[in-house]
Amino acid sequence: MAIDNVSRRDFFKVGSIAGLAAGVAGLGIGSVLGVPEEAVAETVTVTDFVYTCPVCGAKAVDYDALVKHFEAEHPDANCGVPQCATLNINGNELKVQVEPQWTLRETLLKAVGLSGGAKEMCDRGGCGSCTVLIDGVPALACTTLAVQCEGKAIETSEGIAADERFRPLVESYAKHDTAQCGYCTPGQFTVAKYIIEKYGEPTEEQIREELAGNICRCGTYSRHVKAIQEAAAAMKGGN
Amino acid sequence: MKHFKHLQATSADQAAKEAAGGTAWVMAGGTDLLGTLKDEIFPEYPETVIDLKTIEGMDSIEEDGDALRIGALAKLSAVAESELVRQHAQALAQAAERVASPTIRHMGTLGGNVCQMHRCWYFRVPDDRFHCRRKGGKTCPARIGDNRYHSIFGDDNGCYAVSSHDTAPALVALGATVVTTKREIPAEEFFGAHGHRSNVLEDGEVVKEFRVPKTAKSAFQKFALRKSIDFPVVNCAVAQGSDRATRVVLGGVYAAPWRSKEAEEAVAGGVTAESAAKAGEAAVSVAKPLGKNAYKVDIARTLVKRTLTDLV
Repeated sequence: MAIDNVSRRDFFKVGSIAGLAAGVAGLGIGSVLGVPEEAVAETVTVTDFVYTCPVCGAKAVDYDALVKHFEAEHPDANCGVPQCATLNINGNELKVQVEPQWTLRETLLKAVGLSGGAKEMCDRGGCGSCTVLIDGVPALACTTLAVQCEGKAIETSEGIAADERFRPLVESYAKHDTAQCGYCTPGQFTVAKYIIEKYGEPTEEQIREELAGNICRCGTYSRHVKAIQEAAAAMKGGN
Repeated sequence: MKHFKHLQATSADQAAKEAAGGTAWVMAGGTDLLGTLKDEIFPEYPETVIDLKTIEGMDSIEEDGDALRIGALAKLSAVAESELVRQHAQALAQAAERVASPTIRHMGTLGGNVCQMHRCWYFRVPDDRFHCRRKGGKTCPARIGDNRYHSIFGDDNGCYAVSSHDTAPALVALGATVVTTKREIPAEEFFGAHGHRSNVLEDGEVVKEFRVPKTAKSAFQKFALRKSIDFPVVNCAVAQGSDRATRVVLGGVYAAPWRSKEAEEAVAGGVTAESAAKAGEAAVSVAKPLGKNAYKVDIARTLVKRTLTDLV
């Protein structure tokens, strides 16, 4: 039985080091999957991914091992054989253990280990801090089921921040101090990418309209407008 | 959320068949249903959630003679941006544009917005702590409780919740028809407080599309506490058909969109600044506000006047 004893704590520790390597930790953006390959290579690879038995909590390194373990040890468990979905997250095809009732936000945090991007705030679709891009369009990860996302391209703020093309956006976000407490910033940042791709050089009105679903208790709204406009100008239409 | 099975529907009829037993619930964009499941607002919980989004071809917006056919899975953002809808059913485009936030409009569908459950804070309280009329209880807590966002035109089957779908009054004003897997229902008869539902759908019935007659002149306005993302306190849609008759429909004031015959009579001779003001007065002449929502009467009066003025 190929149950490995990789602890989740080790997994996340490695993840956060890799996040720092991406140089965007100040924004709360950056974790395992979005960072450049070389930063991750020596510490963790996506195949190190941990699968957890829903009954006894044992860890497995791959899905087949988990199913084999489950069928051997818990043949009568009423939760059914653990399911798995293939998700394309920030360009990485990942086989992830999911349950049908798991939202994408839960899955990104619990099963993938991406804690920086889709944040839990209201968990009812009212605040926008869990925004991710699904096939390039903003979607709320807290009101999307993970199993609905198979075959779709999911982009989180970690992935956008690690994308060289969007370096000017990260820099102008830092320059304009858009993150005050920083909790809503990954959501706003994700929509910012969408705005730049959609409008090229957006007007203030367009930015305010598109960011209308992202609530910020610190009131940093006007800084986002400045940061996005400056980044858009620097990127000359985002290409 | 508690465990449920997930089923990807391939057609509306298949989804309807699967949902016929009542233990499987259908979901379109999921923006409403998942919240209610997280809060477990109902004593019941579905065994299976049927995902309608996987049905192909149910999101089209097309012209069909003198009407528009809008698939139930058309995204609210697509409805708001569609040239066809803007040209022939402006009130619907304006209403779709004011639903919630841009992100929710990218996820939510027209069918889902029309079928969403009522937003009453007693009905929606987590863990079914107020076992209200809608869930089989005896009383409506809003009647003597905090009813600042509740009905100003009385109860529907003892329920004082209000219809807060933005697109519903627009569909009623435009004289749309709701096509389900079983029948065709005029939008005007579609809504109301029926069990958990805000409409007359039965178990095993799925909305397939909306047929909206082309209307030259229509308008929609919404009053909400925040412009960016909020449910309406009151909204209003008006439409002028080819027979020059004007339909005035208010939302957020009753358990279903409230068609105001009184206001319609006031503008029967044509919409002018004066008759619009009279229509506002007439619309609220039959209002019966509850303890804490008399302010909504003033908002409704003004909103009817303003929306009618958009037609001039």
